[in-house]
Amino acid sequence: MNLNPKVLRWLRFLSPLTVCLAVWEVLTFFNILNPRLVSSPSYIMLRMYDLTVLNPTLLVYLYRSLYRLALGYGLGALLGISFGILMGMNRYVHWIASPILSLLISIPTIAWVPLFLYLVGIGDETVILAIFLGCFFAVVYNTMNGIRSIKKELIWASKTMGADSETIFFQVMFPGALVSIITGLRLAVGYSWRALVGAEMLASGISGGIGRMIYAARSLNDVNTMFTGLVIIALGGLLIDHLILGLLEKITIEKWGMVRRRE
Amino acid sequence: MKIGEFKSTLHFFFQSITLLAIFVAFLALWELVSSLKILNPALISRPSQIFQDLWKLLSKTTLTGQSILITHVASSLYRLFLSFLIAVITGVSLGILMGYSKKVYWFFEPLVTLVMPIPGIAWAPIFMVWLGFKDPPIIAVGALAGFFPIVYNTAVGVRSVKKEFIWAAYSMGADEKTMFLKVLLPSSAPYIFTGVKLGLARSWRTIIAVEMIAASLWGLGFMIFDARDYLRPSIIYGGIMILAFIYLLIEGLVKLVEQETIEKWGMVRREAV
Repeated sequence: MNLNPKVLRWLRFLSPLTVCLAVWEVLTFFNILNPRLVSSPSYIMLRMYDLTVLNPTLLVYLYRSLYRLALGYGLGALLGISFGILMGMNRYVHWIASPILSLLISIPTIAWVPLFLYLVGIGDETVILAIFLGCFFAVVYNTMNGIRSIKKELIWASKTMGADSETIFFQVMFPGALVSIITGLRLAVGYSWRALVGAEMLASGISGGIGRMIYAARSLNDVNTMFTGLVIIALGGLLIDHLILGLLEKITIEKWGMVRRRE
Repeated sequence: MKIGEFKSTLHFFFQSITLLAIFVAFLALWELVSSLKILNPALISRPSQIFQDLWKLLSKTTLTGQSILITHVASSLYRLFLSFLIAVITGVSLGILMGYSKKVYWFFEPLVTLVMPIPGIAWAPIFMVWLGFKDPPIIAVGALAGFFPIVYNTAVGVRSVKKEFIWAAYSMGADEKTMFLKVLLPSSAPYIFTGVKLGLARSWRTIIAVEMIAASLWGLGFMIFDARDYLRPSIIYGGIMILAFIYLLIEGLVKLVEQETIEKWGMVRREAV
């Protein structure tokens, strides 16, 4: 049998999952696991069908979440990269900002949410701020390290060959730090996603959102919706990571022949 | 060697001093700005107010005679300890099994890849349906969150042991037990340690988050969230400061353990963020 290695790899990946799902389904079907406490794959599928085709609540919720994620992450990435570059290039900024940064990094993002709820109220802003923080620190830290790890010799060499500061920045420093920046951006997706779910849960009364959906389902003891939310969160995180950032990696650092760092 | 050690101690000392000085300067500036009445004190508390209120919490006692603030901190740390313990025991065992046997790896690897990215707090509502409120769901979710980085890194570590080492040990007549204790475990120790570190951080974060929604009455997460309901911003700010302080303390402790074990044994591995 000649199977495409790619297909084979997928089969290897999916077969244990299929076994688990089948066992899970059988256990709930024969009531060995209480279906009021544990959902089952078929129930999850059914609920997904309900919430997308019959009544597009899930899509609306997902749209709200993605909108918040895009704003918070975009803002965090933009400011994070700029600030990280500043901290990497200027010794004084680094001296003052790096202790503050290491102090702030050690606070869980979720701990800021009550403060944001208090300061700006229940709404998109709270969630966006939380996502922003989750993203910002990872990006700043990695960008700064990337810039600071560029060999001094490279900068000296380009200076002696007559490069002006603009050329040095765009041709030496930025590409040199890019592997690290993209690592930061990638980590930040996970952090933002986490911050999104957490903040949406804590902001009780916020309109829409996938975290909100799970949390609201709890008060109704609706395990099917909760499990559906979990599946969406898992798949969403994986998809964003692989599609968007995988692509970004492919068109930049892999294309330029830089080594890709394995996580 | 001695001079190098001295230098690194000196460096660490200066770093801590700088950190402290900048923190104090920041607090002083904050106090100054708020005393000029630029900031609305109902939204942004003054540092003196924050410390005063924290002190009040520290000196006020519960019905059983313990300090309120200490009870909050202690219940969070107690939960962290239990869930971290569960996460380490289960995570390291499954990780070693996954690294040891190809079949176990084949079965569990997709599951770990798929479930690992789910934020810990997303599990909280389900665990609350299963286990109710207070300690049980908080500890369970904390353990679950810490479990994944430990499993993942342990499996990677055991799998990354060079085949040559294993062959060499076998050809010199090592039995399974010696193999495991003298070859596999020491060479994967740095990976396991990385996983345990990541797991500890993840458990801590998740516990704080779950405390906010699992209505637990005690715990730092609950303290902060509750302060919002009663419009006590100073407690929110103070709670956040305590969180940062505890985390730095835990991090320092972990670093100390690392220096005494992994680094002493000469098994340093590059830090992953």
